[in-house]
Amino acid sequence: MTNDALAKHLTGLPVRLLHRLAKNRVHRHFRMGKTRLIQSLLSLPPEQRSEIETTLTSFLPEPPRPSKPSKPDRAAKPNLQPDAPSRPAPPSRQHQVPTEAAISTQALLEGIGVPPPQPFKPDDWQREAINCLATNDVILSVPTGSGKTYVAIEAMRRAIEAERTVIYTSPLKALSNTKLTEFSQLFGADQVGILTGDRRDNPQAPILIMTTEILRNLLYDAASGEIDMRLDTLGLIILDESQFLADAERGVVWEETIIFAPAQSRLLLLSASIGNPEEVAAWIGSIRSTSCHLIQHRKRSVPLRAAYLDPSGKLAPFFRTRDIASGKDFALHPETKRLFANYEDRTLGPRYRR
Amino acid sequence: MPPAIHPVDLLRVLRHQRLTPAIVFLTSRRACDEAIGSFEHRQLPIPPTRSTAITDVLDHMIAEYPSIAGHPLIPTVQQYGVAAHHAGHLPSWKIAVEELMRQGCLDAVFATTTLAAGVDFPARTVVMTQSSVRKNRNIMELTVNEIQQLAGRGGRRGKDYVGFVVVTPSPYIDLGPIANGLTNHPEPIDSQFVVSYPMVLNLLKAHSIDHIQPILEKSFAQFQLNQRADAYETKLDDVETQLETYGRRECADWIAQWQSFSLAKKRRSHHRRKTQHDPPEISAQLAFLTPGRTVELSKAHAIVLRQYRSRGQGAPMLTVMRSGGRIIEYPASAVTAVIDEVIDLTEARRFPWCTPQSLNHAIETLEQFPARLRRLPIRVDQDGADNPVLTETLKDEFPCPTCPSRPACQKDHPQALKLRQEEHRLTKTIHAMRTELWHRFQQHVEVLQKFGYLTPACQLTSEGDWARLIRINHSLLITELIRMGAFEGITASLLAGVLASIAHDDDRPASFPGRHPALTSTLGQVRKIAHSLSAYEEPPLLRWDVAAIADRWIAEPTLPWNELIRSTTMAEGDVYRLLARTLEYLSQVYGLKATHPGLAGVARDAMDLMRRDVLQELP
Repeated sequence: MTNDALAKHLTGLPVRLLHRLAKNRVHRHFRMGKTRLIQSLLSLPPEQRSEIETTLTSFLPEPPRPSKPSKPDRAAKPNLQPDAPSRPAPPSRQHQVPTEAAISTQALLEGIGVPPPQPFKPDDWQREAINCLATNDVILSVPTGSGKTYVAIEAMRRAIEAERTVIYTSPLKALSNTKLTEFSQLFGADQVGILTGDRRDNPQAPILIMTTEILRNLLYDAASGEIDMRLDTLGLIILDESQFLADAERGVVWEETIIFAPAQSRLLLLSASIGNPEEVAAWIGSIRSTSCHLIQHRKRSVPLRAAYLDPSGKLAPFFRTRDIASGKDFALHPETKRLFANYEDRTLGPRYRR
Repeated sequence: MPPAIHPVDLLRVLRHQRLTPAIVFLTSRRACDEAIGSFEHRQLPIPPTRSTAITDVLDHMIAEYPSIAGHPLIPTVQQYGVAAHHAGHLPSWKIAVEELMRQGCLDAVFATTTLAAGVDFPARTVVMTQSSVRKNRNIMELTVNEIQQLAGRGGRRGKDYVGFVVVTPSPYIDLGPIANGLTNHPEPIDSQFVVSYPMVLNLLKAHSIDHIQPILEKSFAQFQLNQRADAYETKLDDVETQLETYGRRECADWIAQWQSFSLAKKRRSHHRRKTQHDPPEISAQLAFLTPGRTVELSKAHAIVLRQYRSRGQGAPMLTVMRSGGRIIEYPASAVTAVIDEVIDLTEARRFPWCTPQSLNHAIETLEQFPARLRRLPIRVDQDGADNPVLTETLKDEFPCPTCPSRPACQKDHPQALKLRQEEHRLTKTIHAMRTELWHRFQQHVEVLQKFGYLTPACQLTSEGDWARLIRINHSLLITELIRMGAFEGITASLLAGVLASIAHDDDRPASFPGRHPALTSTLGQVRKIAHSLSAYEEPPLLRWDVAAIADRWIAEPTLPWNELIRSTTMAEGDVYRLLARTLEYLSQVYGLKATHPGLAGVARDAMDLMRRDVLQELP
């Protein structure tokens, strides 16, 4: 087969078949777009090329058989016919299920903008979380930015109405400071206090912000009976960023806090998405007086899309689909693959080039 | 490493596609600073109205946090609407950047990946330039959790219809892990429970040692261990059911009984004869392979001239004569069959091992043999132990040779032994899992008893009663230093210096010109003590340069913050964190005011002197 003929055949094939041809023959073929794939297939050494040609003929649809009116049932019930060779199975099946066309950059960037201000309406899971907190401990494992703080604030409000105090812990001092400002604006500066290792501001306030280490120390003191703060009115403990439970150095502090938390106060764990929230909930349920209610979802309140930006300034969709699919099967956008392969070709030395 | 695209071009594209504001995650602080620096002298300014908006917000912030004023990045922020946000900055600056971002004044913030949790502000777009990150000198791939944490900052609730993750290549990127991280489920988290000395002391203060184990069992660590142990228990049950299928034997523990019996058998036979190592079919043949015997060797006949054992391995060997009078040596295993023909040979003691006459006779006879000869059937005794003599001697010690279950035991033993070993292994693992935490707790108890913080009855001594108040890393070192009187008559600045060097666990290089002898000698002592405790507690880095920074800040109460920063190569944010941590350690020492009023007073002084200027801005 001449170069041109082969190129023509290859162009007619779907990309999936081209990848199958390139497998084990072309380095990093899965990163390439169609044009580059064909180019690299054409530039293979002769012996590999003849292999490809033979494989290729098996892919090509059989020439149409001279139609025989004497055998009408053959077409009607092809599955009953045992003689397989007459059915070029793989290509026909693949043509039957056309893969969805990859989206364009334009479509990806559609709909950017600022929504008009809407009256805030809590989601179902937020209401569920707040209601559950009346009787149970709650773990919230939801994506970042989907409104965990709303639940925390509403739960605090309820606790204060019931004349209970609240402790809010965060892993970082910096976050404590942000929360202090935020809660002071909401509840009034006299309602919020902060405790750090060396300083106590407004320690008699109903809402106390501190790092988890400080709370752990308070609970140590409470256990040995020398408490300088009233823990028996403590109605709610909010542990922000609870995924720190898995932190190599500090995770133990979260565990101790949960173990020693007073029985009468409810726990609210706010966590980013983690893999096994059920397990954490089962654990807390097993050591506390009430069961632990798990609220989790993976749906983001603002949908997220992914794009690839080439160093040349060209923007392409990252995935074939517009929205980021969940699950193991993802497909990179062919344009992204092509651009990234080019980038690697340019930056990696000739040693890696094929 | 910087991304392949120039930061200015990156921002230009983002602005053009209306993808701003954006958070750009870069690999290092330096990359962030360089990205900001590259905006200077570029024609990409923001409209003056926005500049004024930024200035307004900044003025507002400066009123609250004076340390922001005069920050070198302010002109860039005002002109280009971009900022850097990483751990090298003061917290006040980071708060200002976050506020600017919240007000929508900025187009891009360049941040490091390492502090993703600290970046608590959203943007429309998140730019990712890496799929791996440097952690403690290793390059590690980003986990799904981390990627989702980063991507989670994209899209502001109520301010965006849609958020974006923009991936742009840098030398640290591969698309696979990022795509995987964006689409996959996050990894499960595991407990990181560790037993520490303060934990032991505080638990034993509140509870007696008998109540500790139930408390430890409440931990997530034990919960997870129990789950794994339960899985092993199921396996163990499985193994035990399989073992039960063997049914009852004469003796209760037939597997162990048979094990020791076969061991004894092996040992005896070893003493007896080396031949016992031969495979049974060969040792059965050997008795027949006498001189003159005809054998079949690879389809041709041969006559055995002599049998001997090789010198090295003691393998049974034969000297045979093959057709044509060729005399060759073979291992006995080469014999494929023994033929029922023996010819008379007169043996000799030297080569060719028989008299020449009989050799000639043998050659002739061999030639005349027909192609097929009758083979000698040899009974191969599969059980080498069935040696009657052996059985006889072992009968006195073991019941096995005469036991009725003997054939069954012999058949089942290899499989049963494997199962039994598996059973033991599982039992051991399960036991270790159930008691691991308790065991670690006891180890710590022993150390604390040895140092006199706990009585042999596991109650706190008077020393332990105050030592439990030191609830920080390196607590054992600090309490030991106090007990040894290392802090006797120490100045406030020196105490802060020592605690700073204990608190600081970052080995990012820095330098501080000039050290003074008092600090050096005190640190030398501390280092010696830390070294002597290294078996019980990981010694701290004890860097003298960080000690010198804390020391100077307190020793010179009029020293302005900028002056201190100029005297070291450490980043401002790192110095701030160092001093803030030192404050925490000092406050722990101050907590000992009931038992060590003198030292607590010094700690109080140090805290008062330390908390000024920038360190006073935030609680």
